[in-house]
Amino acid sequence: MKCEQIREKSADYLAGELDEKSLSEVRAHLADCPACREELESLSAIWTKLGVLPKEQPSGSLRIRFYEMLEAYKKGTEKDRDKISLGQTLSYWFGRLMPRRPAYQIALSLILIAAGLGGGFLLSVRSRSAARTEVTGLRGEVDDMRRIVAVSLLKQASPSERLMGVSWSARIDRPGDEIIQTLLETLNRDPNVNVRLAAVDALYLFYDHPEVKAGLIHSLAGQTSPLVQLSLINLLVEIRERRAVEALERLIQDEKLNPKVKKRAELGLTQLS
Amino acid sequence: MEEVRDGKVERLAILFERHHIMLFNFFLRLSGNRSTSEDLVQEVFFRILKYRDTYHGQSKFIVWMYQIARNVHVDHLRKQKQEVPLDAQFEEPAVAETPAIERLSAEVDAAVLKKALDRLPLRKREVLLLSRFQEMKYREIAELMGCDIGSIKSTIHRAIKELGKIYFELQGGTSP
Repeated sequence: MKCEQIREKSADYLAGELDEKSLSEVRAHLADCPACREELESLSAIWTKLGVLPKEQPSGSLRIRFYEMLEAYKKGTEKDRDKISLGQTLSYWFGRLMPRRPAYQIALSLILIAAGLGGGFLLSVRSRSAARTEVTGLRGEVDDMRRIVAVSLLKQASPSERLMGVSWSARIDRPGDEIIQTLLETLNRDPNVNVRLAAVDALYLFYDHPEVKAGLIHSLAGQTSPLVQLSLINLLVEIRERRAVEALERLIQDEKLNPKVKKRAELGLTQLS
Repeated sequence: MEEVRDGKVERLAILFERHHIMLFNFFLRLSGNRSTSEDLVQEVFFRILKYRDTYHGQSKFIVWMYQIARNVHVDHLRKQKQEVPLDAQFEEPAVAETPAIERLSAEVDAAVLKKALDRLPLRKREVLLLSRFQEMKYREIAELMGCDIGSIKSTIHRAIKELGKIYFELQGGTSP
């Protein structure tokens, strides 16, 4: 036996699966070949060592979980069985309805296909228009919901909630007078500068509303915070509101006005005229 | 198993009692984590139930079961790779933390051996575990892995040789 063959047999040797004949052949070779002897000895040392690794025990929850799963599965399959028997009876009845001759079968299937196509066409025409009205209805409802949320948030005591209210109102597609009024009121009366600034931004989205433009011009005179003043002037210039010229001129007359705001207002005047 | 397949699912309990500790140890040696191993054992028995119709009885039940076990383990590794950040994957497995009080020579020996096993490439480790701990014949392992018996035998040979090498290296590192 050659060294190569010994290597091939080593796995069987370790597992104790060599027959008497092969075993004596291997032993004969090992007696003559120190290299193979050494290799096989170290292999079987490791093989034996592996035997000392203790078998570990899983925790008790494994068994509990297994039996829970088995129980759940049994219940599930019982239900499935009921379903199958129902399916079988159905297929039996369909089988009885089916005509025997192939020609009739083809005719029947053609009729069914035609009926299916026709029905589907009719349904799709009807459902398309129905879907359209449904979508518009839904859109309206969502808008209403946003309106209610926005108005109620704008009336809250906490500034962050009022800010949220402003951002909700900005999401409304078609704001009613109520939203516009509430936003303008927020712009004029809210004690918090950030909320007022957010209101300016939200109103910018609805500037084509007639009340908004007038409200913005009117609000300019009442504002005290330079930030809000700047933001209002920017907005009015951006939407090219000529009626704002008068309000701007009046603003510049104010001696207590912040110099930066004054500068912006003067620039705005030249841009508008 | 035939009975389980034919609808007597409660008979699975017998198979569970007979094999779950072996399976648990198989996964424990592969993953080094007890709770993961328990989850994987549970998953194996769940799949046995789910795919019981595909058991045809030509091969032994244990071969079929370990085929499922290997798939479960591969799926677990794939999921783990997605979830675990790269550096965590290379952390030392839990066996490295042997408490000082347990540092008796036999237990140190076992711990070093476990550590060496962990460093063996997956395929070699699997073949070795199946033959040495799960008491499977090479013929069965070959069937399970879908290859011929010769390649299993040579994998065993190489795996033990490599394991011995790692083991002595580690031992040299622990006891100067």
